[in-house]
Amino acid sequence: MSAAPAPFEPPCRATAGGQILAIAWKDLLIFSKDLPAVGLVFVMPLAFVVLMSLALASQFGTVDERPLVLLAVDEDGGPAAGALLGRLDALPSFRLERSWAGKPLDRAAAERLVAAGERSLAVIIPAGLGEALAAPAAEPPRELVLVVEPTAPGQVVEPLLGTLRGLLERARAEARAPREVDALFDGLKVPALVDLGELRAQAQATLGRVLAAADRPPAVVRRASPAGMERVALPDTYQQNVPAYTLFGIFWIVVLLAESVLAERRGGTFRRLRGAPMGRAALLAGKLLPYLAINLLQVALMLGAARLLFGMSLGSSPAALLAVSLAASLAAVGLGVLVSALGRTEARARNLTILVLLVLAALGGCFIPRFVMPPAMQALGLATPHAWALEAFQDVLVRGGDLAAVAPEVGALLGFAALFFGLGVWRFRLEVDGAG
Amino acid sequence: MARSEERSCGAPGGCLIEVQGLCKRYGARVAVDGLSFTVQEGELFGLLGPNGAGKTTTMSLLSTLLAPDGGELRLCGLDVAREPARVRALIGHVPQELALYGALDARQNLAFFGRIHGLSGRRLRARMDELLGAVGLAERAAEPVEGFSGGMKRRLNLAVSLVHGPRIVFFDEPTVGVDPQSRNFIFELIERLKADGVTMIYTTHYMEEASRLCDRVAIVDQGRLLALDTPRGLVGLLGGGVVHLEAEGVESLVEAAASLPMVEDARMEGQRLVVRTRATDEAARALVALCHERAVRLTGLRVLEPNLESVFLHLTGKGLRDA
Repeated sequence: MSAAPAPFEPPCRATAGGQILAIAWKDLLIFSKDLPAVGLVFVMPLAFVVLMSLALASQFGTVDERPLVLLAVDEDGGPAAGALLGRLDALPSFRLERSWAGKPLDRAAAERLVAAGERSLAVIIPAGLGEALAAPAAEPPRELVLVVEPTAPGQVVEPLLGTLRGLLERARAEARAPREVDALFDGLKVPALVDLGELRAQAQATLGRVLAAADRPPAVVRRASPAGMERVALPDTYQQNVPAYTLFGIFWIVVLLAESVLAERRGGTFRRLRGAPMGRAALLAGKLLPYLAINLLQVALMLGAARLLFGMSLGSSPAALLAVSLAASLAAVGLGVLVSALGRTEARARNLTILVLLVLAALGGCFIPRFVMPPAMQALGLATPHAWALEAFQDVLVRGGDLAAVAPEVGALLGFAALFFGLGVWRFRLEVDGAG
Repeated sequence: MARSEERSCGAPGGCLIEVQGLCKRYGARVAVDGLSFTVQEGELFGLLGPNGAGKTTTMSLLSTLLAPDGGELRLCGLDVAREPARVRALIGHVPQELALYGALDARQNLAFFGRIHGLSGRRLRARMDELLGAVGLAERAAEPVEGFSGGMKRRLNLAVSLVHGPRIVFFDEPTVGVDPQSRNFIFELIERLKADGVTMIYTTHYMEEASRLCDRVAIVDQGRLLALDTPRGLVGLLGGGVVHLEAEGVESLVEAAASLPMVEDARMEGQRLVVRTRATDEAARALVALCHERAVRLTGLRVLEPNLESVFLHLTGKGLRDA
């Protein structure tokens, strides 16, 4: 080859920033002209949020028939407390766990497990309950505590509280009735010839004392949050459904991104872009940026609508909300890159995506709260970005969490994003297939 | 070669494209097999060959879209393997497929690819107006491309490749499946580019296009360069033309045919006798007479007037379209 003289100057010079913006703007233009895609991204999740929130405003339509697992701590140790827990365990709706990792549970351990999300509910029988139940009165009354994970819905907690109150009343009656009967007979002043009228009057007086005592119960049921989570407000139907269906919605960006990438490959525009003076990083960045922006807009729209329509609280940390939204969007866009690489055609990518998204959303708790799932399913849910993102959204919206509070979940979501993106780029071949 | 290539590659007025021993394989299949040629500044260089000859692969190699397995490529004095980004800024590639965004209109497509190349503002608008006029799409510029006819899309496909004003343009079969009107727009634009001194490589399997447009034509098949010259020079390889004769026992006629006065060369190719001649009509008559004289039953006679198609047929034993 001959030696190279000074080369020709290019007719114009491009910058990576300008190229990224050009690609992003082009994709937004194409997206804006695709009304079904706009509907999929914005209208579908909003419709889900409104419909599901209204439908589940009072209670869940169908309660899972599997028993609800409760941690149980018996600090009293007496027969009355044992009988109470035994009856609770015998109910088909509940199953008690009195030990964890082979060790008997105490109050602190139970609260820790609930706070860590291992279990949603714990029943604490206080010391002295049996004595208090047998006594005519106790000041202050003993408290049977139900420790509740803050995101557990009222539809589950309230019936449980009612059950506990009923069992406690039964226990009190069992403990108190023999003593009242004894007292009745001890105090009988019956003449040799029984005066039935006098006997009736004395029995009615005794019953009146028993009923009066019920107004000042020696023991009550109290609902509590785990230590360190006292600020918590309980999630309502909107706080459960809005983040869940928002997440369900933002992951649909995977379909749009995968179809867009594969259409560019099929149509040859990727090949044309690869022939332009631009780096692969700029091409990828330009391709992903608009979908990230669309996702953030989705989150803003969903949360804004929930705020306006339902008056839902958005928590106290906009920075935390933005961090969670951004991390979840990055995970969704990363998954889009991976699906683009795995699906060789648009139809295949679409089918693969629908399957993957529905499974991930279901496992991640978007349709059914994870805490009502069996432990194995709950553990499996942690393998989805949805579970982490939902947890993080509820940290902010329900528990008033700040950036520090959501740091673990945001870290996990960024990990998912990096994993998806890395695998996708590794599999994704931008090289053209030459032939002919 | 018809032209002097003594000026150094990359120098103004010298050769702008230098290809030396270029190779590309796909697994066991060799798509480009030791291709070598040079293209002068302002030259319109044709690559003529059937489908699967390696033309598109060669274009992809020249456009930096593929990395070669062997050989060297130099464009405007730049080593393509070492400085692909600088090379890309100087070239335009008109791909065979319609690489456009159907949802966008013609102007938006041009604007996008212009911005990718660094154009903006008034300069971009002026360039878009110029190109839309040149390809006859100025009045349809605001319509979505997905509503365009195939010919209109192909014209826009061409305009998009030229938006940044490249010095070298690679055309990969730009007229496949287009209507006559669009074909004329494309030819006129190519002739304007040539008048502006743009260097071009044009692949086609239409010998009429290669004859009409190209200064020089390289005939390729199975990744190999078979001949390279001006269209006139290539046609001259055949002399007057070629006659194909098919008959039972035609092998017995080879010597007699070769000794005919107007015949330059006679040989067997498969089951047929291929006769290269200065005078096709006279040779055909003489060959028919020879069959009659030797009592050989004639089953087929084909006279090929000299053109690039018959050159290709002569070189490869197969047609451009049926290869």
